[in-house]
Amino acid sequence: MKPLDWVVLISWLVLLISYGLWRSRGSNTVNQFLLAGKTMPWYAMGLSIMATQAGAITFISTPGQGYVDGMRFVQVYFGLPIAMVILSATVVPIFHRARVYTAYEYLEQRFDAKTRALVSAIFLIERGLSAGIALAAPGIVLSAILHLPFAWTAIIMGCVVILFTTFGGIKAITWADVPQMTVILSALVLALIIAIRLLPPEVSFLDAAKLAGAAGKLNAVVTQFDWKDRYNLWSGVIGGAFLALAYFGTDQSQVQRYLTGKSIGQSRLSLLFNAMAKVPMQFLILFIGAMVFVFFVFDKPPLLFHPVELARVKQSAQYPGIEQRYNSAFDRRRAAAIDLKDSRPGAAQDFRAAQKDLDAARADALKLSKEGDTNYIFLTFVMRYLPTGIVGLVLAVIFTAAMSSSAGEINSLATVTVIDIYRRHLRPDESDHHYLVASRVATVFWGGFATIFATFGSNFGALIEAVNQVGSLFYGGLLGVFVLAFFAKKVGGTAAFYGVIAGELAIFATARFTSIKFLWYNVIGSLVVIAVGLILSKIERTRRA
Amino acid sequence: MPDEIKDEPPPFLGRWTRVYTLVLIELVLLIFAFYLFTVHFAPR
Repeated sequence: MKPLDWVVLISWLVLLISYGLWRSRGSNTVNQFLLAGKTMPWYAMGLSIMATQAGAITFISTPGQGYVDGMRFVQVYFGLPIAMVILSATVVPIFHRARVYTAYEYLEQRFDAKTRALVSAIFLIERGLSAGIALAAPGIVLSAILHLPFAWTAIIMGCVVILFTTFGGIKAITWADVPQMTVILSALVLALIIAIRLLPPEVSFLDAAKLAGAAGKLNAVVTQFDWKDRYNLWSGVIGGAFLALAYFGTDQSQVQRYLTGKSIGQSRLSLLFNAMAKVPMQFLILFIGAMVFVFFVFDKPPLLFHPVELARVKQSAQYPGIEQRYNSAFDRRRAAAIDLKDSRPGAAQDFRAAQKDLDAARADALKLSKEGDTNYIFLTFVMRYLPTGIVGLVLAVIFTAAMSSSAGEINSLATVTVIDIYRRHLRPDESDHHYLVASRVATVFWGGFATIFATFGSNFGALIEAVNQVGSLFYGGLLGVFVLAFFAKKVGGTAAFYGVIAGELAIFATARFTSIKFLWYNVIGSLVVIAVGLILSKIERTRRA
Repeated sequence: MPDEIKDEPPPFLGRWTRVYTLVLIELVLLIFAFYLFTVHFAPR
């Protein structure tokens, strides 16, 4: 990085944090600290919801996914608008009218204390683990790209997050997300424009799309159904809707965002804004990956994008042979791409054959590597080809996206710890000031936990997998119990409690003993919770009668 | 707990059900557009 990039990076960090803290002044009650005094407008909540969900991982890894696997990942988001409509019509008014700080507080109003405690504990385990991962994953990538020790990036980000969240509370986090999301979306559009402009002058935008299509990168919709296929239209619409229902309807890190709304309507608008913007945004990010792929058809990319792993692979005895095959395949692919652009007969077959050889050479190199390189593709493009200053800005927004996501999670963990555990079970009759101090102490605790957990991370690929697994193992149980709470008025606390336990067992059994992909766990888990809850409730009523 | 928090109409289209319908129509149109995009650029 050039000095100007460092200046931009540090200036952006200082500006954003200062802005968030300035907007949060006066957060000196529990209601202000945890719910922003219910004053937030829809656009701030909407952008903050988007920022918390996306985090830095999305912006680092999604273009890389478009580059490697094409655009089919966009289908995961097809269920999201459906879920947002359902949540706006049902959950948002219920939570607002229940006047709760947390989603789990509502479960005690509806069921009993043990169900609330069980679900709160599930949330703390699931979100506590992923808060560390949210810091660790981008920290690993940034340390490799910036040549900084990983522990430094994790600790620097962790300390800033702790200070920012402890002093500013949810107001600072939400307001900081507004310029954050605006700049990150602008940076992505800029990256797309630069990727297209850097193509050889004889290659038009339509030629680039044709080449990406010929390589199978523009596969945005896969209509064929397969239980074992992670990304197709059906798993996206059905599984994606269940995932989004669980995440936005039962995960406190998201629920707390729209509970800060000044009215039911403002909270609804924040969700519906995401419903309309999220799918096109993911499409854009994946399309950037496809265009970066086309750029690298003409400009030779490194054999591996992970700089540390490439250096390791270069030491291997097999490297010269792999490199030779890779170079030859690259030259053939570039020649075939020119022919394909000019619509010469047989060019598409030559292009695909060369692409296959190139992929095979990369696969052999990846076998010698300890880690995949998908998450390094976009940042390699940014570092090498974006203008000075913009590089610093992109890295700065990735830093702050990681911090924003992590801050939101830590804030929600502190909220559940204080409201659902400390105030409910340990110290129920203290002053507002006491709980405000307790919320700040809980923020420092969870921030410290996430930072320490993050410094143990060393393998980005494994961490991403862990994020997906941890989330999908718990969301089905949470969604099921909230469906019972909202729609099954005859089901009582004990039936709901054992329903959650049965649902979690079903999810763990599915994950352990079948090859069904994770998007379906939420469907299976929630249906088991609902079925067991209804059956137990029926038995209970029959016994009483 | 008293139910004091009132619902309010959306800032456009008059009723929330119309806004929900708009969101779902956008989703259907997007999926259809992405499908056409996929078919148009599919490898031949």
